[in-house]
Amino acid sequence: MSFENPNLSRSAHVAALNKRFKNTDTVDMLREIMADPGFGKLALVSSFGADSVVLLDMVANINRALPIIFIDTEMLFHQTLTYQRKLAKDLGLQDMRRILPAREAVLERDFDNLMHRSDTAACCALRKTEPLARALAEFGGWISGRKRYQGGARAAMELFELDAEQRIKINPLAHWSREDLAAYITAHGLPRHPLVTKGYKSIGCASCTTPSGTVENERAGRWRGQNKTECGIHIGEAARSVIVTDEGFTDEDWADGFHSFDTMPTQESPALAIDLQSDFSAEDLLPWIAKIDLIRVDFPVFSDGRGFSLACQLRLLGFVGRLRAKGHIVADQYAMARRSGFDEIEIDHALARRQPERVWQTCANWRARDYQNLLRQSA
Amino acid sequence: MTLKPALHILTANDLLSGEVVYLTKSGAWSPRHASANIFVEGSLAAKRLAEIERSDISVVGPYLAVVKTSGTQPVAPEHFREVFRAAGPSNRFIGKQTHV
Amino acid sequence: MYNYTAFDKDFVTTRAEQFRDQVQRRIDGSLTEDEFRPQRLMNGLYLLLHAYMLRVAIPYGTLNSRQMRALADIADRWDKGYAHFSTRQNVQFHWPKLQDVPDILKALAAVDMHAIQTSGACIRSVTADHFAGATADELADPRPTAELVRQWSTDHPEFAFLPRKFKVAVTGSLHDRAVTKFHDIGLRLVQNANGAPGYEVSVGGGLGRTPMIGQVLRDFLYQADLLPYLEAILQVYNQIGRRDNKYKARIKITLHEHGLEDIRQRVEANFALQRGRFNGADQDILTRIEADFRPPAFKSASIHHFEAQRAQDPFFKAFTNTNLHPHKNPDYAIVTVSLKAHGATPGDAGSAQMRALADIAARWSHNELRVSHEQNIVLPHVHKADLPEVYESLRLAGLATANIGLISDLIACPGMDYCDLATARSTNVAQGIAQKFDALKREHIIGPLKLKISGCINACGHHHVGHIGILGLEKGGIESYQITLGGDGTENAAIGKRIGPGFSADEIVPAIERLIRAYLAHRQTADEAFLTTYRRLGPAPFKAAVYPEKEPKNEL
Repeated sequence: MSFENPNLSRSAHVAALNKRFKNTDTVDMLREIMADPGFGKLALVSSFGADSVVLLDMVANINRALPIIFIDTEMLFHQTLTYQRKLAKDLGLQDMRRILPAREAVLERDFDNLMHRSDTAACCALRKTEPLARALAEFGGWISGRKRYQGGARAAMELFELDAEQRIKINPLAHWSREDLAAYITAHGLPRHPLVTKGYKSIGCASCTTPSGTVENERAGRWRGQNKTECGIHIGEAARSVIVTDEGFTDEDWADGFHSFDTMPTQESPALAIDLQSDFSAEDLLPWIAKIDLIRVDFPVFSDGRGFSLACQLRLLGFVGRLRAKGHIVADQYAMARRSGFDEIEIDHALARRQPERVWQTCANWRARDYQNLLRQSA
Repeated sequence: MTLKPALHILTANDLLSGEVVYLTKSGAWSPRHASANIFVEGSLAAKRLAEIERSDISVVGPYLAVVKTSGTQPVAPEHFREVFRAAGPSNRFIGKQTHV
Repeated sequence: MYNYTAFDKDFVTTRAEQFRDQVQRRIDGSLTEDEFRPQRLMNGLYLLLHAYMLRVAIPYGTLNSRQMRALADIADRWDKGYAHFSTRQNVQFHWPKLQDVPDILKALAAVDMHAIQTSGACIRSVTADHFAGATADELADPRPTAELVRQWSTDHPEFAFLPRKFKVAVTGSLHDRAVTKFHDIGLRLVQNANGAPGYEVSVGGGLGRTPMIGQVLRDFLYQADLLPYLEAILQVYNQIGRRDNKYKARIKITLHEHGLEDIRQRVEANFALQRGRFNGADQDILTRIEADFRPPAFKSASIHHFEAQRAQDPFFKAFTNTNLHPHKNPDYAIVTVSLKAHGATPGDAGSAQMRALADIAARWSHNELRVSHEQNIVLPHVHKADLPEVYESLRLAGLATANIGLISDLIACPGMDYCDLATARSTNVAQGIAQKFDALKREHIIGPLKLKISGCINACGHHHVGHIGILGLEKGGIESYQITLGGDGTENAAIGKRIGPGFSADEIVPAIERLIRAYLAHRQTADEAFLTTYRRLGPAPFKAAVYPEKEPKNEL
């Protein structure tokens, strides 16, 4: 059978795949999907890092000709490059693709190779995300070796996901534990990355990786000290926000970024959006209130109701732009948010999955049964 | 003399009925205090509690309670609050007393 | 009484159905317990020690016979045949099952009742003088205001996730029976110099861990400004009330930390903005509500039979001496029905008793009942000629205990027999004290005395405002009871003072007995009430009586 069903949306298709392979053995699942033409052309994306050998070995045993994409950021440990060459040879990989960043882009944006010190996000974009996007352009789906136990956004990862380009992304090892991986490596006598014995549990660029402590999250050594846990190539659906309106779920349509109140540009700006914390004092915004197009109020936890009063005050002070509540807001608070003056709600993917669109839709009729409206309507 | 380490049982309220329940040896929940599994090892008790907090949605508010043994007497709650939980209200014969 | 509009009916019916959906989502896992808890609490559903507890709102303590019967039916069908009337003029069912609660809410909605906002960090069910609309000492009926506040606070979009719970009480009498000085907001109906109706607004009163007497924020607020002013107080509180420590999150602490003047300035500035959001529709609704609260058609009849019966039946006479309160119509009386039969659990009523009360109210009290914060039921409008029959009917239902205002008319929270927050039991102490003084046949001699018992520091039993307060705590693994003296919840608000170390469950009743003996020995006349004697003498003679062993044995 084919996995493409024209009657299913991409996300319904992914949901069906997750259901179908829920209890399937990893190797069997790989064998089935690699044989299925419905995905279009498939590739395995590997970092040749700490545990990469497990998935590479499985795939090689099924089909050595599967394209293997390896992003060489030109900032990697030399041990990684040696290890990559050794594995490609040992496993007999026939379509090994080492992808480099675009030469002219590097010369233009990071001529001294020091961008990682000032802006890791831009560096990751230049050296990983953009090259990968180019390399994947010809593929219909890709296989990745991420594991849930690695934590962060990965903890909620499914076997099948959609990436930002609506490509199917397969995470065959999602449910594997660190012990499972170690057992597989031992049982099959596979070589390990030389840095593993030196305390590196997750290995990226030499510039931005340190060893992880024994009790730390495995990826704690990546971008240590920064509020960053992913390079960007894995930011797909899981990290994308969902915008909830009266019509249901939509994608983010605001492309111009958000400023904090402190970094808000003072000069005239064609599309200005700012983020406010729930303890912000609305009057402080009064001089600029007419110049702002979108205000996003943070709800750190659903039981913190300050944001509702803040929204009400912003409206009272004359704000007429888009007002968005962002964060931990549950569907049962939708009417409160709308009645307080918010236009829309931004939630993360995990919450959207737990409280799907149909749940929010049952709360969409926020104008009904409103005592406030009764007490304030004109006679 | 060494201090005897505390013995624990794992208790919660049933999500649907609200009734006080105890984790048994088999991993099921029982309304009977006498059926509770006794954890001699504190670390194991804490681990089971963490598992239940994470994954068991059939109970609410699980926690560890200390029990005591004395001679041949059956295991009894250490704290008087747990005595009431195990038996029912003291002002009316209306709670667990009537059926456990 | 207030008549539900089609809007009100639709609201409570829909809310019950929404809760059915929420329960379903909790059971299937799409709501976590953390997310479900506030939703169930906002619908009055707690999980206590042994079971769930559903707290049903009786806004400002007013209900009719049909509603009381519905409560009795719920007790029989989904609970264990009784209900507990609480110190917040609400009623609690202590044994419902989670899946049954949506059906209970539906049954409540069918008689214009609900359990909305009887819990949670929101504006709670509003309370008022339980003698409202009937008492002789009333300036204006507080219930229309209370109903307006109920509508305004119901499902208020901004104030469902406040730093902490928020309680509003309203009184329209000189004599404050609604404990307004110990509420987050206390409203007193007053008139200004020109005779215009309005409110004196107090804020920051409260009991609990840090008892405080409310302070007057506005000595006169025009009636039409009530909702924007409340809106302003709540908005200020929602934004600056502390959320880092739940023991410091009530508005009393906000007021204490910022000072009255600072809060007043913030509220007034906010009020100026809020006024524009109301355009009189609320006052039109208030006018309609007031029409619903017009007094019933009082009848004219001879009260001769009443006087004759009093002369003839000493039990009836004793009942009328304690359980009646003057009605604004001199031929009528307000009857307080005690839910404190000696040895019973204060506030508990069996379903048969609830039905008897419904029948009596239907026949002799213009279909109306009240729940008092002192955990009794009030028949607000009984013609004196009917009192002998009312008494007889109450007696047959086991509801004719003649102890209102006496020591055995004590109030007590459910304590550790039910409550998961409790640190000690309270009903056992209540039962012990009532039985002790009943056996001594002393309570009529002792006279007016308010004794209040809480099973933990949260003070649901209002121990801080008891003339004698008892607080149950845990000390070294056993129950320990502390005594406070001199509290007063009326217009002469005072917080009781602790007199010394606590007593065990076995020692507390004898200690109270010694205390009362000291009072009887020290009072100047038989008419001097306990509180008066205490205020005259201070705690010393009472301390000496309660702690005789503390007297130094061998002074050098």
